[in-house]
Amino acid sequence: MTSETSNIKPLIYIILLNLLGAALISIQYGGVNLEAVILTGAFCVVSIVSYVVVYVAELGDPYLFLIISVLGSVGCIMQTRIKPEYGIRQLKWFLLGTACYFVIMLGYRFLSRWLTKLLPLYLGLSLALFIATQVFGKTSHGAKNWIYVGGVSVQPSEVIRILFVLGLAVIFTAPMPEKLESKVKIKPRLLRLVTASAVTVVSAAFLLLQREWGITLLFFATYFFFLYVYGASRLYLALNGLAAAAVAVIGATKVSHIKVRVDTWLDPFADASGKGYQITQSLFAIGEGGMAGRGIGAGSVYFIPEVHSDFIFSAICEEMGVVGGLAILMLYFVLVYRGFKIALSCTNAYNKAVAFGISFILGLQTFIIIGGVIKLIPLTGITLPFVSYGGSSMLTTFAACGILQAISGMKEELTDEIQ
Amino acid sequence: MKYNRKIVTVLVIMCVLFLSIFVYLTWFSLFRADDIKTSNYNRRLWEREDSVLRGTIFDRHGTELARSELVDGGQKRVYPYGSLYAHVIGYNTRSYGKTNLELAYNDYLLKTESIAEIIQYGMDGSQMKKGCDLVTTLDHGLMETAKASMKGRSGAVVALNPQTGEVLCLFSNPSFDPNEDALTKNWSELSTDESSPFLPRATKGLYPPGSTFKIAVAAEAIESGMEDYTVDDGGSVRIDGRIFRNAGGKEYGELTLARGFKLSSNVLFSQLGVELGAPRLKNAAERFLITKKIDFDIDTSASAWPYDGNMGKTDLASVGIGQGKLMTTPLNMALVAGTIANGGVMMKPYLVKSAVSPNGVTVYETAPEALATAIPEETAEKVAGYMLDCVESGTGTNARIRGVEVCGKTGTAQNEREGKDHAWFVGFAPKDDPQIAVAVIQEYSGGSGGSSCAPVARDIIAEWLE
Repeated sequence: MTSETSNIKPLIYIILLNLLGAALISIQYGGVNLEAVILTGAFCVVSIVSYVVVYVAELGDPYLFLIISVLGSVGCIMQTRIKPEYGIRQLKWFLLGTACYFVIMLGYRFLSRWLTKLLPLYLGLSLALFIATQVFGKTSHGAKNWIYVGGVSVQPSEVIRILFVLGLAVIFTAPMPEKLESKVKIKPRLLRLVTASAVTVVSAAFLLLQREWGITLLFFATYFFFLYVYGASRLYLALNGLAAAAVAVIGATKVSHIKVRVDTWLDPFADASGKGYQITQSLFAIGEGGMAGRGIGAGSVYFIPEVHSDFIFSAICEEMGVVGGLAILMLYFVLVYRGFKIALSCTNAYNKAVAFGISFILGLQTFIIIGGVIKLIPLTGITLPFVSYGGSSMLTTFAACGILQAISGMKEELTDEIQ
Repeated sequence: MKYNRKIVTVLVIMCVLFLSIFVYLTWFSLFRADDIKTSNYNRRLWEREDSVLRGTIFDRHGTELARSELVDGGQKRVYPYGSLYAHVIGYNTRSYGKTNLELAYNDYLLKTESIAEIIQYGMDGSQMKKGCDLVTTLDHGLMETAKASMKGRSGAVVALNPQTGEVLCLFSNPSFDPNEDALTKNWSELSTDESSPFLPRATKGLYPPGSTFKIAVAAEAIESGMEDYTVDDGGSVRIDGRIFRNAGGKEYGELTLARGFKLSSNVLFSQLGVELGAPRLKNAAERFLITKKIDFDIDTSASAWPYDGNMGKTDLASVGIGQGKLMTTPLNMALVAGTIANGGVMMKPYLVKSAVSPNGVTVYETAPEALATAIPEETAEKVAGYMLDCVESGTGTNARIRGVEVCGKTGTAQNEREGKDHAWFVGFAPKDDPQIAVAVIQEYSGGSGGSSCAPVARDIIAEWLE
């Protein structure tokens, strides 16, 4: 009995959070939107059903979806508060994302046998997406990173980063095809390193062409830590580190776009009404929020450009306080920690690598964007998973977590398989 | 499995990254946010300003000292008493920013965040929100008396309640009209005016304390067991080749510390300064926070001990009579008098009693607190006796009030202008249950503290005790 109630408790909190958020926003806008009520209801029902399904059907780690629900709730509340239409669309994306989560989870479970054989697909698809972005891409905020598919804007790099992890995992863990091993006179370990490096260099080149410095860093760091975990020599790690540092230094000194980012990081107030506008407004928001926050709807978050996407964390700090912001940070940490735990307890080498890669990307992405908006590190535009406005970020992060969920539920089958 | 150890290492790196955000954000919020918020680029400042009717500032009896009025499309800050409060309340303008209380209590003047009010305004969006009102410790009557009594002379008058630290009067002259229209019109003239009307003399003016510093020296002498110190006063004394004279060259003959204090003998105190030596003289100043920045509601000037290590005998003698390089503010000297009045305990001075929301809820209240224990009660009692004598039958007789035991000390401080000494008077009353401590300074008056400042102090004390 006790264990049952303790399993229901988190759900009650999620529902309470949503009701409170809805109530506060209704007070602010002085009215109730029927569509928002229906969608919030649907949100609660979906959260409950998903949790119960994962729990009862023993589909693996029951906490993943709980944490995602809370993050999603906060995201939808903040989006609604910024602009009701955003909130409604974000709710829809969340519901669609949940569907995506379960589809990907089931897909991954059933296709797991073939996943290691699909390297050409991962790489080919990535390359196609990169080229498509390069050819059809629309530029926004200095980065060419959007393509329009049937009227919907999609950020291909969001998809590519999952393919990148799937690909790296194959490269580092799959057994070498015998054909290849006999044909090429090269040690398998070296072949892995060379392939991984080549894939990363090509990806980075495309990303830099599209001026996606933050995402380049994300890709490179993922590759670097794959190298570290899968036993590259210290020399090779050092060489990679040096190469990356060289690119960073060249970028920071020669590329005006990056130079501005670094300058505004070092002294945002030097040009507070121009280049430093966004980051100073973000700092004002966090400062005005203080520890306890000004209250949902009581802040002035609209002063921050792009507050609904990259700068959503500053809005959270202004209205929910630094305490609220840190609570959100802890949720991300727990999510990342669960991901690492899944990787650690996983017995299948490929799945372990995938879980590691996804958790790493999720954690680093969170660090890069939160660190950026609070001026801990230079700002680079990356979305805050599950909270920032936008469909492609929502769906792909759901997909990534769907894979984690699948892996966490696959332990025993795979142990059997190996034995 | 063999990779787990390294994955754990990566997890630890991830922990460090998250922890760095945790620490940085907390640090930022606690230590950086307050500075950053006041930046002119922070549009929230003006946004709140536009949507909230700024609170009213009252004196202790409910007299309006500053209020905001709605004018078409905005609001206007009105200071009904013009220049009288410019150095206490300050001004609140877009072009010139904010100063003094308008700056220090900006958050309260614009605060509208009690739950009851949010709901109330939520119901009725048309109503303009109101900020909290400030109730100050000032007494408008005393401020007017100070102004009248100073007769337009440059200087400052500070009065406070020695038992609580409440500042009753904080008058500085010259001053300026803080109303925005007047400020815009006169700004360039005011900022180049040689009489420095923008200098809040009471809190930021630094002057040599002159003979009023003898209060601290006498207290230090008593604490050093030199209460029985005597000299033979021949009107002047030569120390290291420099001659120290009494005011008017008067000869007092055989002098005790008490009598020397009452008559303000420079012969006695210059030699006492040498006798005490540098560490004890410095200690005398430090006891009364003369070398420190006083923590106050509005900005104060800090004075540092101006000698490093080696003091010659003439330096010691000069400081002994409050000359030399030691400087202090009128506020600080009022606190010195207050400390003697309050049995050696210096109370923290404050200007704002409370902030009250439009619904009558007190959202902020200042509680009196001790700033420092300067000297033991018995020593304070002895010095108070000297100060009583000084007013009853010494240099400060102009501060006498019938039926009240007024304690005080006069001062005449030489400065860079020959023959234009600053005149000082500090004191408190009544001796046995002190209600008010005062410091009065008149810049370059050329007169003595006893003749020009003691009457001002008497007017202030008399009015307060009435």
